[in-house]
Amino acid sequence: MEFGPYLFIASLEGAITAAVLALTAVGLSIVFGIMRVVNVAHGEFFMLGAVIAWWITSLVGGHPAYGFVAALIIAPILVGILAIVCDHLVLRRINYDPERTIVATIGLLYVIQQTTLMTFGPEARPVEAPFNKRIALPWFEHTEQGFALTWPWGLSTTTYKLAVIGAAVFILILLWVLMTRTKFGLIMRATQLDSEMAQAHGIPVNRVYAMVFGLGAGLAALGAVLIVPIQQAHYLMGGDPLLLSFIVVIIGGLGSVVGTIVAALFIGMSDGIISVFFSPTLAKIIATLAVAFVLVFRPQGLFGKPER
Amino acid sequence: MLAINNIDVAYGNVQVLFGLSLHVKRGELLCLLGRNGAGKTTTLKSIMGLVPVRNGSISLDDSALNTLAPHKIPGTGIAYVPQGRRLFSELSVKQNMDIGLMASGAGTETFESVLDMFPRLRERLRQRAETLSGGEQQMLAMARALCMKPQLILLDEPTEGLQPSMISLIRDVVEQLKAQNVAVILVEQNVETVLNMADRVAFIEHGRNPETVSGQELQANPELVRRYLGVE
Repeated sequence: MEFGPYLFIASLEGAITAAVLALTAVGLSIVFGIMRVVNVAHGEFFMLGAVIAWWITSLVGGHPAYGFVAALIIAPILVGILAIVCDHLVLRRINYDPERTIVATIGLLYVIQQTTLMTFGPEARPVEAPFNKRIALPWFEHTEQGFALTWPWGLSTTTYKLAVIGAAVFILILLWVLMTRTKFGLIMRATQLDSEMAQAHGIPVNRVYAMVFGLGAGLAALGAVLIVPIQQAHYLMGGDPLLLSFIVVIIGGLGSVVGTIVAALFIGMSDGIISVFFSPTLAKIIATLAVAFVLVFRPQGLFGKPER
Repeated sequence: MLAINNIDVAYGNVQVLFGLSLHVKRGELLCLLGRNGAGKTTTLKSIMGLVPVRNGSISLDDSALNTLAPHKIPGTGIAYVPQGRRLFSELSVKQNMDIGLMASGAGTETFESVLDMFPRLRERLRQRAETLSGGEQQMLAMARALCMKPQLILLDEPTEGLQPSMISLIRDVVEQLKAQNVAVILVEQNVETVLNMADRVAFIEHGRNPETVSGQELQANPELVRRYLGVE
């Protein structure tokens, strides 16, 4: 395959990574932005989403779409509820202290990961995609007669991969509507801007924190359910999404949802392209270097506001 | 209406209020006067439940306030306009007021009546709070509090850094509130403003209330201001 179509297919792989990363990282970003909690267990909520998706699809019989749709609804809700319980039992008790929550969420990471290992086992488990038709993709080539539409051999993708990108965009639009057009969104933003004043205006800040922690974890789980038919569920799969989410959130600007989405697009696309052309390890090295540059030259991130 | 009885309040190991007692009646304006760091803002914050009361009690119409969760206190009819306004800076004027309306469950009628008190805000409803001038921000801070339909309003230095026309507007609004039988606790550094408005003046010194006098007594005895504020 020539370079152009090859780059196109690598970009498509990158777009899938970016879409799922955007969902996962936005969850981490709103938790940090509103609660000031650096949730080190975020990757484990992602992993749980994938594992629960496998469990549900293996329980539900019939066409794979039935199980998948059930997983898409149930897994984020279950993971969100678990996160709310963790908030209640752990984070609230340490008064959301920024330093102590880091240590506490490291503890949660190990508890969730090892419990999953003991119950789910060490094997990687596949989840069947609800639909997975391979489709050929067109390419434009410049010939003596001008631009012509061609169908290069090997330039193809699956309908499911395209659906993942569409679903992620749809969910992010829903999240934007929630944040900017609803009463709960207004309450979340007021809490983010000044939690003490929010409380002085009747907002139950601890309840908002619990909901936000649940929402953040639910978004990670949703990303995992979307990707699990491509990647398989495994108890150690939370590490990469956590690292990439931190990278994205730091580059985008801590707490900035727009910045997170833009950075997810940049890191996801570059991860996909570099992984296809070179190696996934090089992609992670470059992403980590990008974070180092941002931290040195623009510590507040691309879209973040400097601390006053 | 509001009674503060012997409260001790501390930030960590640093005690700020020592057995402080105050009360305010419906429709009354009580002014808290004292030097910086005397404990005036802490008194307001402890009424709002934003700092925990270690000993003593705060009650509104004989119902204990200091046992309530902080977010439930606005529901009892107390609104707070903090020092430095502390608006939700990235939200619009309307959204800031909506936060106040949510606390009281009030609707369009309250929203419109508050805007009638601050007509300039009506022109700026979609503007972000952080882009308003200092005077407009103070109007918004008061409007946000008034959307909560308070029986008692706590004002922490509302005239700080404002031009005379704005101070006069705020004074008018406070007079209107008193006329509507709303109680006001005002923390103020500007003694002249206090003399013109206060029914009673409580001096706060080192976290205690050594003396409370009427507005007329304060006017008749300027020595009090010198003693507690160190100014002529």
